[in-house]
Amino acid sequence: MKNPYLKKLTDIPMEDYLVGGHVACQGCSASLGLRLALKVLGKDTVVINGSGCMTLLPVYPTTPLLVPWLHLAIENTGAAGTALYYALRRKNIKANILGYAGDGATYDIGLQSLSGAAEKNIDMIYICYNNQSFGNTGHQRASSTPRASYTSTTPVGKVEVAKDMPAIMAAHKIPYIATACPSYPIDFLNKVTKAAEVKGMAFIDLLVPCPVGWDFDPTEGINIGRLAVRTGMWKLYEIVDGRVNLTYIPKKRREVSEYLRAQGRFSHLSDEDIGAIQAEVDREWDELEARGYEYELGI
Amino acid sequence: MIAGNGAAAWGARLARAEIIPNFPITPQTAIIEEIASWIASGEMDADFLPMESEHSVISALAAASSAGTRVFSATSSQGLMLMTEMMFVTSGLRLPVILVNVSRGLSAPITLWSDHNDVLVQRDSGWLQIFCSNNQEVLDSVVMGYKIAENSEVLLPMMINLDGFTLSVTREPVEIPSQNEIDDFLPAYNPTHTILDPKEPMSMGGAVFDEYMYFRSQQRMAMCNSKDVITDICAEWGKMTGRGWGHELVELYCLEDSERALLICGSESAILKYTVDKLRAKGEKVGMLRLRAMRPFPCEDIIDALSDVEEIGVIDQDVSPGSGGIIATEVKACLGRSVTSFIAGLGGRRIDAEKYEKIFGRLGRDVEEWIF
Repeated sequence: MKNPYLKKLTDIPMEDYLVGGHVACQGCSASLGLRLALKVLGKDTVVINGSGCMTLLPVYPTTPLLVPWLHLAIENTGAAGTALYYALRRKNIKANILGYAGDGATYDIGLQSLSGAAEKNIDMIYICYNNQSFGNTGHQRASSTPRASYTSTTPVGKVEVAKDMPAIMAAHKIPYIATACPSYPIDFLNKVTKAAEVKGMAFIDLLVPCPVGWDFDPTEGINIGRLAVRTGMWKLYEIVDGRVNLTYIPKKRREVSEYLRAQGRFSHLSDEDIGAIQAEVDREWDELEARGYEYELGI
Repeated sequence: MIAGNGAAAWGARLARAEIIPNFPITPQTAIIEEIASWIASGEMDADFLPMESEHSVISALAAASSAGTRVFSATSSQGLMLMTEMMFVTSGLRLPVILVNVSRGLSAPITLWSDHNDVLVQRDSGWLQIFCSNNQEVLDSVVMGYKIAENSEVLLPMMINLDGFTLSVTREPVEIPSQNEIDDFLPAYNPTHTILDPKEPMSMGGAVFDEYMYFRSQQRMAMCNSKDVITDICAEWGKMTGRGWGHELVELYCLEDSERALLICGSESAILKYTVDKLRAKGEKVGMLRLRAMRPFPCEDIIDALSDVEEIGVIDQDVSPGSGGIIATEVKACLGRSVTSFIAGLGGRRIDAEKYEKIFGRLGRDVEEWIF
């Protein structure tokens, strides 16, 4: 059997199931994430979408999607995926079920429905495309928004830290959880492959830098994603059977200021504020280094 | 002898509903419990999906129906309210979902007993709405419901209401048709307008620009079409079972020579019929019209039946505070004349024959009167 895991960029399948001509913003990483994921999941995939930016991909009478797509509402991707799993089984249709919903639709309004699907360990792949805000409505605060970020509803910066969604999913004892970023496509796509392989629910929290909400030039999205990872502010890891395993360890972490200063949403921060964030990130990584990059989550 | 909840469950079983998402709520719960026991014993071949909320139930109904399976669930009151957002999505996607509502007054204050405000909040959701008056009608309506909703001229979801407690837990004689009979009557559901199969990729639930109004007009047209479809399918059912349910969209009782008539819906019509009989025995020319379908609203049938009646009253087990009885308002608009609007039976408050007699004596005034 062919090894399904990718080693280099040229291993990425050429086939596309999200094709051009849609209305996503210039430099949108969320649509890139979907395009990449569908490349490895292939044509036998049914997508369930929670209301958000990606909902505007099919606009009557056109669609850029070459796989079946169902959008119902913002808060029910988990419930729809649950029903679809049973419905497709009854119809003898063998397909990957891909839930693709934003962070607001996942961390916040859709958490109950997602929790229901996770508790039932529904055999689906749920990718949360995480732009750390309610992006489609114009970048409002969500529980996924990082501390200090400007949003249109936190004009002086968010006070609270972001919810630890992967840990919440781990508490549901589902077989596969990962974080990812389209700036690291090989890492991301091998996680999608693993997510498709496991029997039961897989959850991937995919950081998608948003040029509009985060306020950076649309050509910079991939770089911003790389900086999020290289500064240590977005960790790439998997959780399998309660064990966390970092899949990328920056050799020498870049200064967080490189990441923060590149985005308008952090432009109000003083050098002192940035120093505090740096200290926090350093502390987290020191702890990681001390206990090793593979450890029991203890949930 | 089965209760209304059992009759609803039997309807789903005979119709071979395949996916049953569910969430418990009084007074509906016995429906899903019955189905759970049948699935566990192998008497019913369906997937039982315990969901985390009624919103998830209706979402699962919509998703499973989108994939072309036949679906069923039941709810009540607060549960139906939580479904509201998805009610419109379901009708907009033209999914022939069958949902039984066991009516119960809305909180606050909390009541477990029946009235029709829960149903009527969903009046404008684009669902067909049928009110049942007894347990046999519940079973029959569920089975017929699939054939009506899945008709290519309709393709709309249907809500079938039975009154909490008065029907839901009350045992009545119910004739259960044989599975063979129903299999002949109701073919398998194989939609062509919603498919979620990678062999035929389709994008569902997308955005539109100014075609929105076009899609809404299609829904309205389907609702109009449903009147003939309901009539035809009721006739077919009547031929098969000997039960046609009156004029299908409405049930007429002693209206031929009536001078005074009351319009009502649901199971409270039983005591009203008894009262009509009692008054007729005394020589009073009274009658009753029972609304079976709230949507589509059977305006022509109401005009035909009531235009020669001198004094008309409407019993509303619901209220739109600041406007009055919801059904009375619709009947006034339909008939273009005044009717007396009675608000009664809220939260299951008893309406006995004595009260109906009093109501018959208070017609002929264009007022809203509360009968406590």
